[in-house]
Amino acid sequence: MSKHEFSFNNMNPGATVLQRLDPMVIEKPRNPIHVHTYGGETPFFRGLTEGKLMATKCMNAKCDPAGQEGDYFLPPRVYCPDCLEKMEWVDITELARATAKVHTHITVEHPGAFNQVPMPCELISVEIEGVATVIMSQLTGGKGEIGMKIEPIFNTAKPSFTILDLAWKPRS
Amino acid sequence: MIKFTERNLATPKQMRPVYLVAFGQSDYRKRYPEKKTEELCIEAFRMMALDNKLKVDGIQELKGYIHSCYYGHFADHFGDQLLGEALIHDRLGLDPMGNVGIKSGGATGGSTLWMAANAVASGYSDSVLCMGWERMDEVDTWTGNHYISTAADKDYETELGHIYTGYYALMAQRYWKTFGQSSPAFRRTMSKIAVKNHGYAVSNPYAQAPARITVEDVEKSPIVADPLRFYDACLMSVGAASVLLCDEETAYKLTDDPIRFYITAGSHTLRAADRRHMEIPLLPNEKDNDEIKKTYAGLYGDSNIERYPGFTGFLAARMAAYYAYNMTGIVDPCTDLDLVELHDAFTISDIQTYEDIGLRPYGQGPDYVESGDAYLIDPATGKRGRLPSNLSGGLIGCMHSVGATGIMQVGEIFWQLQNRWAEFHEPEHRWTRWGKEKPADFENLQVPDAKRGLAISHAGVGSHVTCSVLMRPESVIKK
Ligand SMILES: [Zn+2]
Repeated sequence: MSKHEFSFNNMNPGATVLQRLDPMVIEKPRNPIHVHTYGGETPFFRGLTEGKLMATKCMNAKCDPAGQEGDYFLPPRVYCPDCLEKMEWVDITELARATAKVHTHITVEHPGAFNQVPMPCELISVEIEGVATVIMSQLTGGKGEIGMKIEPIFNTAKPSFTILDLAWKPRS
Repeated sequence: MIKFTERNLATPKQMRPVYLVAFGQSDYRKRYPEKKTEELCIEAFRMMALDNKLKVDGIQELKGYIHSCYYGHFADHFGDQLLGEALIHDRLGLDPMGNVGIKSGGATGGSTLWMAANAVASGYSDSVLCMGWERMDEVDTWTGNHYISTAADKDYETELGHIYTGYYALMAQRYWKTFGQSSPAFRRTMSKIAVKNHGYAVSNPYAQAPARITVEDVEKSPIVADPLRFYDACLMSVGAASVLLCDEETAYKLTDDPIRFYITAGSHTLRAADRRHMEIPLLPNEKDNDEIKKTYAGLYGDSNIERYPGFTGFLAARMAAYYAYNMTGIVDPCTDLDLVELHDAFTISDIQTYEDIGLRPYGQGPDYVESGDAYLIDPATGKRGRLPSNLSGGLIGCMHSVGATGIMQVGEIFWQLQNRWAEFHEPEHRWTRWGKEKPADFENLQVPDAKRGLAISHAGVGSHVTCSVLMRPESVIKK
């Protein structure tokens, strides 16, 4: 298989089923597979599998940042949203361990189809000192509260290779 | 993200005036197996062409005016049809006129109007068709929720529950805790919005969810994502809406009563996560107002308790209103306007929007409802409200047939400003047309002497927002 060919062998044959005669309504099942790349954001997702929280930072001395709060971007961006220069990767695991807090939180009881997170699930947005952004994630082992001190935990044992490899727990 | 310059903030221009000439719509339903999407679109078009007292002899003469077409349709995967706009265009028999499909999530209807109006304003076309639709009933509700959740960032958000309500609720919770102090009074205001909008839907023959409910019903309904309950959320719908926009000369050729139309747009990041703290762009009614600056300093300044716009406001809505008020000469929306149709995706985002568009200062949104301003007649006092909101029933009571929503809102205001609301909602045949019975408690919701209105169309957790302003030609503020 060459570098740019992917396999799509799991297509459902898509057989139709008659559901109603008048008006005529048919059922059309399908189950396509998508092959998706993390591209330049790979260090973030690989970092999660290695127990590291990787953010990006603009190192362009001439950059005039539009925001007023912090230098690090998490979710990371390959390019700076202000000057569009390539950003540098920085490991902020320890910073997150020391300063992360719950910015807002909710409990999800009814997920959409294809959800993999055990329910009910605590969704949180995470504030970290020096980070310009407030990443969405999940809280385990407790109910969220605004201002609650938390620390990151990583699913390194059996990674899903998705954002679900990152979660947070209350910090003692 | 942009650091504002004067060029960024320049007041948008229409090179010539744009007019709304006609509006038509289908009815809206959760599931609509009786009709294909094409049929619903043609029904909306026929109503637009035949029921608006246009000075043409039937459909084909009207088609002779249409120079380009703008179609709003949010979700190809819901309808399972790419290039659906080509299919609709063909069924309308408008080939070979130029057409384009426009999509911007929940704001698709508004964005479609934006493109259509700009085509007229620029001089490209004298007369354009602007139509939107959605078909959300081919999948079950939970697959539907998954589909909608793919309008979040699929790598960083969608995996977290596949449920958009959750992503909204994160903002709602922050607003609720910051400005509502989680208080029962604030919860009550949210409930009143659901009661109001379902109640107005009772008198709307096109509406999907008319209901006389109480605050208690809302507060007893199941929690979807705390603090949002079942009745706090908008509908999923099938249906179509259609308007005709023209330049001045063509507008008066087609009708004796065209309505002036303006529209602007703003945006913000797809992920609420990426919204960095910034200064608040002030609206005309907030300028030179020391009190407001002091209020905002407490909320967002150096001693801030909140980021701006952070999770509590929608910068896209603030930007759209900023452009629209400066474009049209609106200073105080509560004084200068007679009615609004807001994007009540959720009761709480409705409240947040009151603040973004300057109906109340940030942090004081609930007062717009509590003061009675948001009602045609305030049920608590029996007095006329200053600026009734969502007399159609909005997204909570009427529909959220996504591509059609922004167009429906503008169309309902159009009929109000023409003083023809009753003609389209009251007669028995408007109800039997959709197999419905006119309710015994039908109310006339025509706003007396309505001259100006505004509609907000909103996407994502605030990724796109358009602000439409409609004015009777003799009531235009900026000549
Ligand atoms: Zn930069």
